[in-house]
Amino acid sequence: MSPVERSYLGVPINKPKVAFFEMSSCEGCQLQMLNNEASLLDFLSLVEVVNFREAMTEKGHDYQIAFVEGSITRSDEIDRLKKIRKQADTLVAIGSCACFGGVNQLKNRFELDWVKKEVYGDYPIDTRKVEPLSAHVTVDLEIYGCPIKKEEVERIVTNLVLGKSIEHPKYPICVECKENHNVCLYDLGEPCLGPVTRAGCDSWCPSNRLGCWGCRGPVDEANVTQLKEIMAQHNFTMEQMLDRMECFGGFSEYITEMKK
Amino acid sequence: MLFRVIARNELENLYDMLAVNHVVGPVSRGDDTPTPMFDFDFVYDFKELRLDFPSTIHSLKRYVLPPKERFCTFTIQDNDWQKDVDLNAHKPIVYFGVHACDINALNKLDKVLSGSVYPDPYYAAKRKNMFVVGINCNPQPYCFCHSMGTDSALHGFDMFLTDLGDDYFVEIHSAQAFDCINKLNSREPDEQDHIRFLEITDKKLKKFTSHVDNTDLTKILDLEFQSESWKEWGKKCFSCGTCAAVCPTCYCYGITENVDMDLQGASKIKQLYSCNLLDFAEVAGGHNFRPDSYTRLKYRYYHKHRGFVEAFEEPLCVGCGRCGEACLAGITVPEVIASVRDKENNNE
Amino acid sequence: MNKLPFIDVLAGKEEHGRKSDLASFEYTYQAEITNVYSLTNTEKLYQIQIIDPKERQRFCFKPGQFVMLELPGIGEAPFSISSSPLRHGDLELCIRGAGNMTNFLSLVPRGTKVGISGPFGTSFPVEQMYDQNIMLIGGGLGLVPLRAPIFSVLEQRSRYGNIDIIYGSRNPSELLFTYQYDTWRQFDIDLSIIVDEGDETWNGPVGLITSILEERIAAAGDISQNTFAIVCGPPIMFKYVCDMLVKSKMPIQKIFVSLERRMHCGRGKCCRCNIGSTYTCLEGPVFDYWSVLNLKEAI
Repeated sequence: MSPVERSYLGVPINKPKVAFFEMSSCEGCQLQMLNNEASLLDFLSLVEVVNFREAMTEKGHDYQIAFVEGSITRSDEIDRLKKIRKQADTLVAIGSCACFGGVNQLKNRFELDWVKKEVYGDYPIDTRKVEPLSAHVTVDLEIYGCPIKKEEVERIVTNLVLGKSIEHPKYPICVECKENHNVCLYDLGEPCLGPVTRAGCDSWCPSNRLGCWGCRGPVDEANVTQLKEIMAQHNFTMEQMLDRMECFGGFSEYITEMKK
Repeated sequence: MLFRVIARNELENLYDMLAVNHVVGPVSRGDDTPTPMFDFDFVYDFKELRLDFPSTIHSLKRYVLPPKERFCTFTIQDNDWQKDVDLNAHKPIVYFGVHACDINALNKLDKVLSGSVYPDPYYAAKRKNMFVVGINCNPQPYCFCHSMGTDSALHGFDMFLTDLGDDYFVEIHSAQAFDCINKLNSREPDEQDHIRFLEITDKKLKKFTSHVDNTDLTKILDLEFQSESWKEWGKKCFSCGTCAAVCPTCYCYGITENVDMDLQGASKIKQLYSCNLLDFAEVAGGHNFRPDSYTRLKYRYYHKHRGFVEAFEEPLCVGCGRCGEACLAGITVPEVIASVRDKENNNE
Repeated sequence: MNKLPFIDVLAGKEEHGRKSDLASFEYTYQAEITNVYSLTNTEKLYQIQIIDPKERQRFCFKPGQFVMLELPGIGEAPFSISSSPLRHGDLELCIRGAGNMTNFLSLVPRGTKVGISGPFGTSFPVEQMYDQNIMLIGGGLGLVPLRAPIFSVLEQRSRYGNIDIIYGSRNPSELLFTYQYDTWRQFDIDLSIIVDEGDETWNGPVGLITSILEERIAAAGDISQNTFAIVCGPPIMFKYVCDMLVKSKMPIQKIFVSLERRMHCGRGKCCRCNIGSTYTCLEGPVFDYWSVLNLKEAI
């Protein structure tokens, strides 16, 4: 497929070659990309996909934008990631695993040897402390969420192709929750990290009556101290709160402060 | 203003008569909440209406100022384009069961959005197509509308109902409402009805427990611009914009433009944006005029209780108390204003 | 009861004379980028012409006012008009690539259609300044909003007394409109330029703008009676400049400044540009210094 000559307001717009890769993950974020048939053709007209194991047989290694899902849990993943970094002009971390370590990083709370033994017994296995992509390579752009939100990715990719800078919302989930006219989860007796979590998912979970687990990580200047107080006021234990904050790894820098 | 009295059982006939149009009214939300909660929504049956509602989580604002609204679309062709504006108002809507505070909120929005320079057609198109049936309320512990002078509505509605027990006392404020009432069994109010009506109002006044002292508030806000109280409230604030979202009068917004994925079109989206949000006063290049949460919180009070007063002789607050109820951090208008005023007293 | 009638606010008879106002809210003049000049590494001068000749002629603005410039799908932002008001809808905007919209703008070719709405905001009251001396003081990008009043004043040079233009920038490469200085000087004015840091090309004065201002005030003698000042620049600069003018007894209501905020609507609705609770887009961007002192968080 040769790049189609396109322009926007007279500015030539290239059709970048993109590739999708996964490290340790459930591949659910990539599935999200394929999940909306209504807009898939438009997406394919915007970029040329050369490598996407979940969607196609061909494997191209010439690409400008790499979307990488998953966290680093094995040493061979570091080598693969570095190769991808070398090829890609833009490396995009997609999903909580790639951005913060995701659910995988829960194992970092325990001794690595104990974890290995507990899960695999005596079977020899190569595993290491879970890290986000940014621990090993420069990440140009992070797309948050577990899984990522298709509409958000489409908007981001459109902006990438146009050369617009990508700006994530600087406000918490509460804004979207109110836009959707939800009853506050705290009024329904559920804990929720919405007030401290970065918006962009259109309050996906709270709109379905599930308190936020913070998969998108903290909003800029998250008032976690106040959240601690509110959890206590609503009779939620510190354990309940930490369960959520530790789940996806986005709040790791706040955990020590919370445990004080 | 004309007055009529209708029997209680005539109310359903009034509803049915109006229900040939779309009707929005107070309904119960979330049956599983520990305390019952209410919100405005489209109503399809008189029985769904909960006219005894204490308050609603959100105000009527979303029907005149939707949280997100598409201002226009563009069709793009190379370096040429056409703009297509849609005011997003396509039908008249009946609002059945609106408290005085919310009617007054609309009146305040009218002043800035359609009464001042550059009237906003998106707002005007929806506001002009409202048929508002007001209803008297039962003040809640968090209501301070009496302090704000908004506990009774003088205009901005078509008819206003006051529950007299067996009857409804009806204030009529538009030709359409007059037409409407003439098709029902109604009578002129007599002396006894006047007494009953005034008694209800009197009883209502006694129920207010929250108050805001507005005396010289605009000056005090200037005097206390550097007050430590702001910082204390700022520490609690999540900068989440919930207060503004539930507020019936907050109208600030931001504009974002998006290009369609096929690069053949684009749209301009208005999003109601709270002044409490981190980047509200950020300019191109990254400088933020209000980087601290307390400066943003303070600004919100400044706009509502000082700036708007300066411009329109009244505050941009109707004392509905929704912001305080919705705020997880428990920041309430009466407490914030009292703390800033107290600071003033302590200094003396 | 029959269905309620639907009221189309833009149709039928004008209601309270508001129909045209309502229709104009989201109206954009279609305009064309006719020329682009690089002024420095980061600033470009865009010549933008309203396409319809009638609209172009009807477009009137006063020096200091701004327009909203829209690139569909990319963004809309306010820019003060840098051209002479006599040129009507044949505008010049000096724009620094600092955000999404301005960066994309720097890529679009000549002939691209853009949207213009406005003009908005207050202006420098140049008519009030007839027969008076004027000091126009600009720092950095502050020369951009000063250029329209400079044109206005020079075009009616005989109506004014002494004209002092004082302009400072960080270094010589950041000076704007260098090609025009000689032309301006032909109008019997004093133009002083100073940079914070010189380089090999520079043989003018080096230092803070206030040092030149001090000299110019001394040269002017008494500025308490017949002198106006128009000041534009970064907040820190104009605070020092205004302080110095006030100290030299210039009345605060004769000092005019132009403030910069990020407007989303330009029409006194979105509140994004509010200072304290004052709309910069309606009551500004040009304020007299008294209003600035009266505003909270202005500088």
